[in-house]
Amino acid sequence: MPSRRFSRPRAAVVVTAAVALLLAACSPGGGTSGEPSGEPVTGGTLTYASGDAEPSCLDPHVGGNYPQALIATQYLESLVSLDEDGEVIPWLATEWDVSDDGLEWEFTLRDDVTFTDGTPFDAEAVAANIAHVQDPATASSTGYLALAKIKDVVAVDDHLVRLEMSAPDSALLESLSQVWVAMESPKALERSQEENCAAPVGTGPFVVDTWERQDSVTLVRNDDYNSPPADVAEATEGSDLPYLDSIVWRFIPDSASRYAALQSGEVQVIDNAQPDTIRSAESDDAIEELDAPRPGAANRIELNSGKAPFDDERVREAFIRSVNVDDGIQSLFFGTAERSYSPLSSVEPLGLSLPDLFTVDFTVDTDAASDLLDDAGWAERDADGYRVKDGERLSLDFPVSTNQSIPAEQSLFEQIQADAKTAGFEVNLQPLDLSSWYGVLAENDYDLVSAPYTKVGPDVLRILYHSDSITPAPSGYFANLAQVDDAELDDLLTQASATSDADERAALYEQAQQIILEGYYILPLYDQQNHFLRSSTVQGLRAMPTVSTPTFAGAWLAP
Amino acid sequence: MPGNRHWLLLRAGGVVFVLWAAATITFFALRLVPGDPAEAILGGPGSQAGPEALEQVRREYGLDQPLVVQYLTYLGRLVTGDLGQSYSLHKPVLTAIGEQFGATLTLALVSLVLAWALATGLAAWSVRGGRVAWAIGSGLELVAAAVPHFWLATVLILFFSLTLGILPPVSVPGPLGIVLPALTMAIPLAGFLGQVMRESLLTAMESPFVTTARARGESEVRIFWRHTLRHAAIPAVGLSGWAFGSLISGAVVVESVFARQGLGRSLLSAVQLRDVTLVTGIVLVVALAYTVMTLVTDLADRVIDPRTRAVAE
Repeated sequence: MPSRRFSRPRAAVVVTAAVALLLAACSPGGGTSGEPSGEPVTGGTLTYASGDAEPSCLDPHVGGNYPQALIATQYLESLVSLDEDGEVIPWLATEWDVSDDGLEWEFTLRDDVTFTDGTPFDAEAVAANIAHVQDPATASSTGYLALAKIKDVVAVDDHLVRLEMSAPDSALLESLSQVWVAMESPKALERSQEENCAAPVGTGPFVVDTWERQDSVTLVRNDDYNSPPADVAEATEGSDLPYLDSIVWRFIPDSASRYAALQSGEVQVIDNAQPDTIRSAESDDAIEELDAPRPGAANRIELNSGKAPFDDERVREAFIRSVNVDDGIQSLFFGTAERSYSPLSSVEPLGLSLPDLFTVDFTVDTDAASDLLDDAGWAERDADGYRVKDGERLSLDFPVSTNQSIPAEQSLFEQIQADAKTAGFEVNLQPLDLSSWYGVLAENDYDLVSAPYTKVGPDVLRILYHSDSITPAPSGYFANLAQVDDAELDDLLTQASATSDADERAALYEQAQQIILEGYYILPLYDQQNHFLRSSTVQGLRAMPTVSTPTFAGAWLAP
Repeated sequence: MPGNRHWLLLRAGGVVFVLWAAATITFFALRLVPGDPAEAILGGPGSQAGPEALEQVRREYGLDQPLVVQYLTYLGRLVTGDLGQSYSLHKPVLTAIGEQFGATLTLALVSLVLAWALATGLAAWSVRGGRVAWAIGSGLELVAAAVPHFWLATVLILFFSLTLGILPPVSVPGPLGIVLPALTMAIPLAGFLGQVMRESLLTAMESPFVTTARARGESEVRIFWRHTLRHAAIPAVGLSGWAFGSLISGAVVVESVFARQGLGRSLLSAVQLRDVTLVTGIVLVVALAYTVMTLVTDLADRVIDPRTRAVAE
């Protein structure tokens, strides 16, 4: 595992100490032109173009998805942050302490921070925010889950707050670092949801000014900004952050238009850069890449072990040994995505990688897969070459969310389909829109599925693979899509989330990942891709080590 | 004129029927897609809604009611002019449409004018330029009418933005920003209009009134603008009602490609988010604009041409 988060190992760039922290996050894809050019420049307007859907609400407490996190990172801040090594560092909270039983957390808060509407940031504000996230009327999903174990919040004094837990939660600090539970002005939260969605009020470097629906959000400089996370504060000491006057946050859904807008200088930063675009940008000196894989789970294909045919481990193993994804990833992603062999993202320090299990060599694995299928009773083949058992074809339903799987990934699934056919599996790829896709998952009408999951820290394993997560929510949705039901695994994940000992926690998560990988429940593909392209005039851009969203707090436009 | 009133009543009834059918089909089509709208409201990639949140959302949007009840409630509100609340935008549908309508209307009108200019220019040139020009004109029109919007948009961006660098590839404030989106919509439309115009221009040029004008000693330019073009434009004007409707549907693609504000783009994101009230709202507004436009064109026809009146009676 690379120990430095968010930097490509092959492109590590050595920069001077003062700006190292800022720039470690944006080492360029192979070149050296990404090094900072000169002193920071104050002023100017930067235009950012997002390929994600325009959020329906700018307050990430409501719902809680990645497009919201991207923009909210510019105006909201959290109690704690992470540094490049994944260590928890101070942000709006300066220090914290947990009781021996893990049931009480105390956070000392900064006493010199004010929300941009003039409301002071204090213990009552923290209580109001946690209450807001936990209020069903807010309809929070991501934040709600992150704070699920907080039972009560007590303002001990103005700048000391105590969180009382219903159960120990070793992931609490990681959860609190996420922008989905960032701090908003309690006075602003009292407004109607419509008003708060249109212009949430935080303590961040920028302030939401106007929002033209289906077009852009304009963010302007917070002139009183004084609360960057500890690592940024240290690296930019003495500077008056932020440097930029304003940011125009545009929504350009079409990938080719987005890149054209960057090339023509209409915009300076784009997200959701596609593999072919990244490739062609490599030869353009005026454009640099920022690769910031998302934390949490790696992108992987889940094998539904809750029903036939994948309830038989031999069939799961046969499937995994029948498909070669390495070549597909290499060719379809033009070398922009690195193969993963872990359930966790490569930015998670506790990820366990088992390459031997998932590297397919057809000269041995084809026969092995064939034997496994014979053993499992799928010995005969029908006229089309598919395996059959008791007159039934070895058929796998693979619903694909076209909102979540980029074209390269959909092509990869087609290659997997072709490989699997040789081994006798019939894979039925079903491209679906997001709602329909949720629908077939809720109906348990799938054998294979790929679902991204972003969360800071290895506790994502509990959400994805604890048997509790097979129990559907009232909507029918459940997170354990591989339907792993293993008492030993449940036990390990529960213990890991309760222990406060770092080494013990690491060991427990390692064992848990071993069970998931060796049980052939998942086929890891690559990190959740998160590529940004920026004009080389943009300096000091950095991805947050928390949820990998870019922050413009220390960014400037070189003349 | 009782005949006229009768005709108008019938047509107005037709408008109401079209609107009802549009609302009903959209409503049920969106419900037929599998998946829980409440999950779509709260869900997004990588998020998981809690049971309380889902229940809250279902209550709030009436999703816990039987479908028939939801439909009747919806129709009842429509009659009173209430298009409902958009959950993806957290505001009333009417407000949301109001914010977007102007941008789409501007784009559609600019495109229509541009299409007319292109069609007229090409038709005039090809009619007067001999056999080769005729063949080139008709070929260009065929190609123009056949190109899909998304392909044309990409070509225009490549040429005008990336090669020449004179026009922005995405919409920007000011008149420059509308040029490429309007061209993208105007070129295919000009293909259709041009084909109709060229035929009628030819007929007009061989008409007795042109010969008369020539005999009077009027200049060729004056004859073309005063007589031929006016005569040839009539059938193509009739097409403008249809053209307006097709421009609104073209806006779905064009607004997305050029990242332009507007109804088309709102419609696309509303469909993706399963925002039933917003989708039906937009469909209704577009259907209304289309039927009203057709009605106005027909009415104009009746006023201009007595023959159509006789048929209707």
